[in-house]
Amino acid sequence: MPAERWQDVLGPQALDLALLALFIALALISFFRKSVRLKYASLVFAVGYMGFFKSHLISVVDIFGLIDRNLPIFKYNISYYVLGVFVLASTVLWGRLYCGRVCAFGALTQLMDAVLPSRLRVDVPRNLDRNAAWIKYGLLAFVIVYFVVTHDLLVYRFVEPFWMFGLFGTTAMWIGLGALLLATVFVRNLYCRFLCPVGALLGVISNVTVFEIKRWSECKTCKICEKACEWGAIQGPKIVKTECVRCDDCERLYADQKKCPHWIILLRARPSAPKSAPAAPSVQA
Amino acid sequence: MVKLSAPFVLVFAAVSSAVLLAATRIITNPKPDAELKQLFPSAAAFSPLAGDPLHYEAYATDPKTNPSAPRLGIAFWTTDMVPDEHGYHGPIHIIVGLDLKGTITGAIVDYDSEPYGYFSVEPPKFGAQFKGKTIRDPFVVGRDVDAVSRASISIASATRAIRDGSRLIAGKLLPEAAR
Repeated sequence: MPAERWQDVLGPQALDLALLALFIALALISFFRKSVRLKYASLVFAVGYMGFFKSHLISVVDIFGLIDRNLPIFKYNISYYVLGVFVLASTVLWGRLYCGRVCAFGALTQLMDAVLPSRLRVDVPRNLDRNAAWIKYGLLAFVIVYFVVTHDLLVYRFVEPFWMFGLFGTTAMWIGLGALLLATVFVRNLYCRFLCPVGALLGVISNVTVFEIKRWSECKTCKICEKACEWGAIQGPKIVKTECVRCDDCERLYADQKKCPHWIILLRARPSAPKSAPAAPSVQA
Repeated sequence: MVKLSAPFVLVFAAVSSAVLLAATRIITNPKPDAELKQLFPSAAAFSPLAGDPLHYEAYATDPKTNPSAPRLGIAFWTTDMVPDEHGYHGPIHIIVGLDLKGTITGAIVDYDSEPYGYFSVEPPKFGAQFKGKTIRDPFVVGRDVDAVSRASISIASATRAIRDGSRLIAGKLLPEAAR
């Protein structure tokens, strides 16, 4: 048997790696520039390429693989590790960035949110919202214990809907997915906020976030961002790191000199200042 | 709070490590009679798993009655040939038949612990597509091997195991095919 050359190993992966690099670059540029258009571009890329084409999402199966130290072979699956390292590093640096624009399912529900009329949305009472966010941690603990005891990998089908991108499921699974997506029409990003075990794990990691979202002193009393946050991640003056997916909505508001009280107060205090005087703040963390 | 006794902790630790060890099956199916028959339907007898590398030999007539019975081909476990190969979750146990010319007579996935195995490597049509391939075929997933997204890691691993295992066996035991 001829020895395997490095071209034979890397060649078939080259296109995949290039597209993954392009996607990660797009996601990061949209994040740094706080660009709405680029963000939607990366969401569409996430659903199309990372979702339906590749079905490459972080799943509880990967957590099971870590527990068993039983992960795919590195040299044949480089993109698997590139995404894994990116997800861990970005979570430590900025928080649940993965959930907000890299995960294909999260991207799908956010695109649903952008397309569906907002009058369908139900405002979840704040108390319920806060408590429901704990469900995902319970689910994470449950699947880990269940897996360690039974070693039944197939449990992933019942705790996460990512199999849908492979278009393979039993009738019961599709009915469950239909119900979940229907509920998502009324409660935005329902799965990501309340149920996702991977999101829960990243939420735990995001407690060490290095670059946090900046808050003004006016944020103590102002509620604009808290109301605008579709992830329910702002509670009074503070941002709940474990729930924040770095969607940029509040950071765009901070920068808006017409909406953010910080700028309104600042500009009113110095009426003589020329209109363009204070440069837009760098809200990038 | 209840204080845990030392024996209880020991038993618990032993049971949980046993469960952990049982995560992936280490031993291949010891009696794959039905599978061998499927790989070589015309064979009258098979040798036990033996030799270096480990393999089964298929014979047209029972070598016990006819010592000069000709070989029809060789069957082997991919896990014996390429033990380091594994998919998403541990090795995939595949029994492969090769005729004397190095053409695959069949590949049967006997056991796997792949998360997406039930729609990738487990359906009989996955193994069936390798029948008729030769050791010189490219074995590229997505080209001459069917791909299923979400399970590409499992499929790629099983395909490499069949390709590399067949080539190793042919190189060592099938002089006519390796020529």
